[in-house]
Amino acid sequence: MSGAVREAPVFRVEGLTRSYRVGDADVRALAGVDLEIGSGELVVVAGPSGSGKSTLLHLLGALDAPDAGRVFVEGRDLATLGERQRTLLRRRRLGFVFQAFHLVPVLDALENVEYPLVIDGVPRAERRARAAAALDSVGLGERMSHRPDRLSGGERQRVAIARALVHRPRAVLADEPTGNLDSGNALRVFELLAALGREHGATVVVSTHDPELVARAPRVVTLRDGRVARDERRPEAVS
Amino acid sequence: MSPLEIARLALRNLARNRRRTALSLAVVAAGTAALVVTAGFVRFSFDGLRAAMIHGGLGHLEIADAAAAAARGAALDRPASPALADWREVRRALEALPHVTAVGANLHLMGLAQSADGRSVSFVGVGAEPDRERRMGFEVRLREGSDLPAAAPAPGADAALLARGLAESLGVRAGEVVTLVATTPEGTLNALDVTVAGVVTTGVAELDTRFLKLPLASAQRLAQTDSVSNLLVGLDDTRATGAALAAARAALAGRAAPLAVTPWSERAPFYGQVRDLYLGIFVFLGTIVVVLVVLAASNTLVMSIMERVREIGTLRAIGTGRGQIAALLVAEAAWLGALGALAGAALGLGAVLGLNAAGLRMPPPPGAVDPIDLRLALVPEAFAGGALLMILVLVLAALLPAARAARLAIVDALGHV
Ligand SMILES: Nc1ncnc2c1ncn2[C@@H]1O[C@H](COP(=O)(O)OP(=O)(O)O)[C@@H](O)[C@H]1O
Ligand SMILES: [Mg+2]
Repeated sequence: MSGAVREAPVFRVEGLTRSYRVGDADVRALAGVDLEIGSGELVVVAGPSGSGKSTLLHLLGALDAPDAGRVFVEGRDLATLGERQRTLLRRRRLGFVFQAFHLVPVLDALENVEYPLVIDGVPRAERRARAAAALDSVGLGERMSHRPDRLSGGERQRVAIARALVHRPRAVLADEPTGNLDSGNALRVFELLAALGREHGATVVVSTHDPELVARAPRVVTLRDGRVARDERRPEAVS
Repeated sequence: MSPLEIARLALRNLARNRRRTALSLAVVAAGTAALVVTAGFVRFSFDGLRAAMIHGGLGHLEIADAAAAAARGAALDRPASPALADWREVRRALEALPHVTAVGANLHLMGLAQSADGRSVSFVGVGAEPDRERRMGFEVRLREGSDLPAAAPAPGADAALLARGLAESLGVRAGEVVTLVATTPEGTLNALDVTVAGVVTTGVAELDTRFLKLPLASAQRLAQTDSVSNLLVGLDDTRATGAALAAARAALAGRAAPLAVTPWSERAPFYGQVRDLYLGIFVFLGTIVVVLVVLAASNTLVMSIMERVREIGTLRAIGTGRGQIAALLVAEAAWLGALGALAGAALGLGAVLGLNAAGLRMPPPPGAVDPIDLRLALVPEAFAGGALLMILVLVLAALLPAARAARLAIVDALGHV
């Protein structure tokens, strides 16, 4: 391939605005955000609580729609996609990790990781093998048949990471994935996300207000009151 | 996601709140069992009514002169002119048909019965052939004395069975003699002394005040005729009525004086109304059961969905389609319906067998005389239909909550606590 055709960034947002109506007042969660995130990047979205990190990640992940502005994922304007196409985008092109893990309690670790492949109709034998490999890659090869309630917080989040990557998405969106973990586990989970993202060539966007993680990110987008206060690239940072 | 995977996941979800699932299953099972038992009772009542009518004097088919048959309504106790002269040949033809057990001749009479001490009461009577009626499975419900002898009585040895109300009005008992007075076809009066062989009940209270039965030969002596009013055809299987009707009509076609062949169902008094009444009761009860199951089930379905809003949000976030969410929730309801119906069928079977084993007696139905033994029927259609109905009802109850759950805003659902 020649470099003549410039690849579209994985995420591009323009003038993104999102308000919530609370009582009689409008709370501005995002007040005009412009941002571009390229293929394979690891980006930390930092900022104090209430600065709009979750709102931004929801909009990037086609979980919510902005009041104004546009979101492009792999060059496609989300506003032009129907419900079904947004579902397919999330199912095939994106992976999600949540602060509260959000595993399915009735499924064991392997079945949880397998789930994205199940809804996409991947044949059973193939998806079992891929889910097992994904669990191996997060160091939980021995815990496959454990249900979430028999796993520690750190283990649950590692299962969630395996679930977010098993279908080889283009990007993973992780909203405060370490918020419910102690610092040791937090670091491990972050490193795992970074390493697996790099390995798969996936773009990884992690929101956090943990300075330890911020310090390890090659790019940090800091939000304040729904605006991008700073966008630093630190190629020297090795996560 | 394949239907099998949806079904598997749905089953897992039912296992997560076992107490609630057990409760829903119990409701569905009770509903199914209620349907099965009710259907068994209705079928039992139908069958009993039908058997009582057929074996109480209607037979399966009636053969009568077409003109005479058209001139009267459908009732057991109406007189018919002795219009069948060649009844022996007709009988021979009919008794050769398949399923026919016997063909009995009847002569209907009306007149006055007098006791030795001068009391007189009007009667409706039938001259019949006890031997053939026995082969046709007709019942004689004796209260006193004995049945009519099988052989035709010699002149002077005439006997009769009196219904108990009639015997009471006359003040006679078995062994005593009554005089019957009736008009002959020529319009003259004739009298015949008969010995009361026994006192019977027709099973119908109203008819018991007027009815008597005597051998055909005695009735013919009284009416001074060799003809009969009609022939009754008995079959070995009530389900063969339709086929036998067609066969009898074919066998009797082309006669100079046309004969009417009428099935029991058209002659049975009130059979249609009684059947409609029972069916109406069944539908009414079925509707109540369905409404109760819908109310109970939709309540638990909604609860189980409300508890899982966050999980549904998660599944939607990671790419589960709205249709997949709805299908999963509907599948859970379908499982509840299917498993509950299975348990209900077993429960219903047990209830039917248990009630039958208990040997309960039912009070006599309206207009009837004798209490009846409760023998609930096992109705295969009720088991299958009840099960399908329950699955359908549960699925319908789940549609709306499932559609709502599938349309939840993802971000709101994720943040739901
Ligand atoms: N569903 C909501 N309803 C009302 N206000 C909301 C809602 N979600 C977020 N907000 C508000 O929007 C602002 C940004 O929230 P959020 O994006 O969650 O910030 P962060 O993730 O950085 O903590 C906050 O003031 C928050 O209270
Ligand atoms: Mg947040």
